[in-house]
Amino acid sequence: MSAVLSRGGQAQDAKRAVDTSKCLVELSHINKAFGGVHAVEDVSIKLYPGEVVAVLGHNGAGKSTLMKMLAGAYPIDSGDVIISGEKVHVRTPADAQNLGIESIYQTLALADNLDSVANLFLGRELLTRWRTLDDHRMDADARKVFERLNKNFTNVRIPVRRLSGGQRQVVAISRAIYFNARILIMDEPTAALGPEETAMVGNLVRQLKADGVGIFLISHDMHDVFALSDRLAVMKNGRLVGTYRTADVTEDEVLGMIIGGRRPEGKAQAER
Amino acid sequence: MNGLTHSIKRAQVDWRMVLMSAVLVVIALVFNILSDGIFLSAENLYNIAQQTAVVGILATIMVLIIVARHIDLSVGSVMGFVGVLIAFLMYTLDWSWPAACLAGLAAAIAVSMYQGALTAFIGVPSFVVTLGGLMSFRGAAYLVADGKTQPLSDAFFLQLGGGYNGGIGTTASWVLGALMCVGLVVSTISRRQAKKTYGVPINPAWLDAAIVLIPIVIVLGFVAVMNTYHIPNKAEPQGIPIPVLIWGAVAMFVSFLVHRTRFGRYIFAMGGNPDAAALVGIPVRKVTMLLFFLLSVLITIAAVVAISRLNAGTNSVGNNLELLVIAATVIGGTALAGGSGTIIGSVLGALIMQSIDSGMLLLDISIGTRYVIIGQVLIAAVVFDVAYRKWTGDVL
Repeated sequence: MSAVLSRGGQAQDAKRAVDTSKCLVELSHINKAFGGVHAVEDVSIKLYPGEVVAVLGHNGAGKSTLMKMLAGAYPIDSGDVIISGEKVHVRTPADAQNLGIESIYQTLALADNLDSVANLFLGRELLTRWRTLDDHRMDADARKVFERLNKNFTNVRIPVRRLSGGQRQVVAISRAIYFNARILIMDEPTAALGPEETAMVGNLVRQLKADGVGIFLISHDMHDVFALSDRLAVMKNGRLVGTYRTADVTEDEVLGMIIGGRRPEGKAQAER
Repeated sequence: MNGLTHSIKRAQVDWRMVLMSAVLVVIALVFNILSDGIFLSAENLYNIAQQTAVVGILATIMVLIIVARHIDLSVGSVMGFVGVLIAFLMYTLDWSWPAACLAGLAAAIAVSMYQGALTAFIGVPSFVVTLGGLMSFRGAAYLVADGKTQPLSDAFFLQLGGGYNGGIGTTASWVLGALMCVGLVVSTISRRQAKKTYGVPINPAWLDAAIVLIPIVIVLGFVAVMNTYHIPNKAEPQGIPIPVLIWGAVAMFVSFLVHRTRFGRYIFAMGGNPDAAALVGIPVRKVTMLLFFLLSVLITIAAVVAISRLNAGTNSVGNNLELLVIAATVIGGTALAGGSGTIIGSVLGALIMQSIDSGMLLLDISIGTRYVIIGQVLIAAVVFDVAYRKWTGDVL
């Protein structure tokens, strides 16, 4: 129990940068069905600049589907996406990128046969004035970003399949950094990483928070959730169980929501 | 010595290409000995070069198709259909050759868009779509002229397939060869300068010089050999055959697409990880349609070369060609699983295939034996491919 409390303390520390005066993302009454199955049903969540909101739930609870809709990978059946007060339509991944939404997927979404530079710029290559690939500029820019994340990462010209898990994660994360994400979706960012690399991701999250980036964090790792998030939203069977300040709830209460769908007694939900 | 091995390692030499070139040289030497020096005669090399052009042209685009995790089993049939159509328009309907070729291109585009749309939008595997096409378009090739051979006589058109007047002559060959060498040197120097500007590490000058010297020697050697092939009753030696020029231009163009454009990069990304390609916002369907469009253009070019080589369009043009094209591509190191392959590999693959075939023909080996051997060469190439990928750790 004391371990849980100390984690709650860390979450308090991480919270200072949240600016609750203007909402960054509002997902409002979002619905999505595949065939007859309601993957996401009437879910509403808000995200503020500099805030980390953990999105939790079992496999199949609908959290990844919800985030993929925000990232433009799936079309939304009904409901609104409001970014900085404006209603927007996110129909494709390119739409999402134009709105400053970047995603880091569990599978990392890397083309294994291409090198790190090509992967960083994939879909958004820098072009010369002849509309050909500007390889040298991409190479130079990429090396700068990679170096910022991991000083020892210099073999950027070999296929990413030959890289370690941590280096692959650097490539995936570097997309969010290079293209100046305002809104970042992290789907299990530390699932395949060792302790050192997990710490790197944690530091990065704190750094991005300080820069005012809003982050949705999907994770099964309660340690990450309590260490990094300001609020947490729990989903079960496509519906939202509740949204709470991370500091207000215990790990047991969160597990109770994930497994049983029970809201903790006497705890107030937190819209912001 | 340590510095030397380090530089060579960093230069990222493609050992597969080195090995394939060595295989090609060994094949040539063995056939040359067995045929008492006929194989490496200028006449035979000229013939091999122009015979390989049709397979070579199609192999360049087959690389991209297979890299993108598709396949086209219908190339031979569609090429036959387009070829007969062009010949029919010229011979039976008396169209001029440019008009006939444009009509052939239009037909090829229509076929490719149909097959491409089934693959890209409906999601039918290209294997199935083009297996149907293999049958249907062979039938269409028959229907165009009711199975009748369509002879060709336009003097200019017949040069496109090589043959008697199909060389560009000695002077033009030397000029072209020299231009290519200058181009190679200039592009190497400008690449070094661009790397310097951006602070990207560069090879030592002697190493880049050695790397650029290899293609220069090959180009000049090729020109020299082609310029010694003299058909007895002609005033001047042949020079580079036009079909080889077309093949070279096609290979350079497709290489350019692969290395320098978004289109090429997206093809490789789609082959490496289709889910990732969609998630990062690559317009997968559009790129697939563009790929099939490019295929239709190259099929038309190959059809023109094929019928002008034959001096006629017949409904059997391009029979079994899909097998030779896919074999050349696979021998050239393109992985059937997708995501990996090179254009220069397809050129070497096509040359290896054609050299083995022509060599056996020179030695008077029966058609049955030739088929048996070529089939097993393909299998040997795939076995080598699997072993090589295991060795380098590039298992897809």
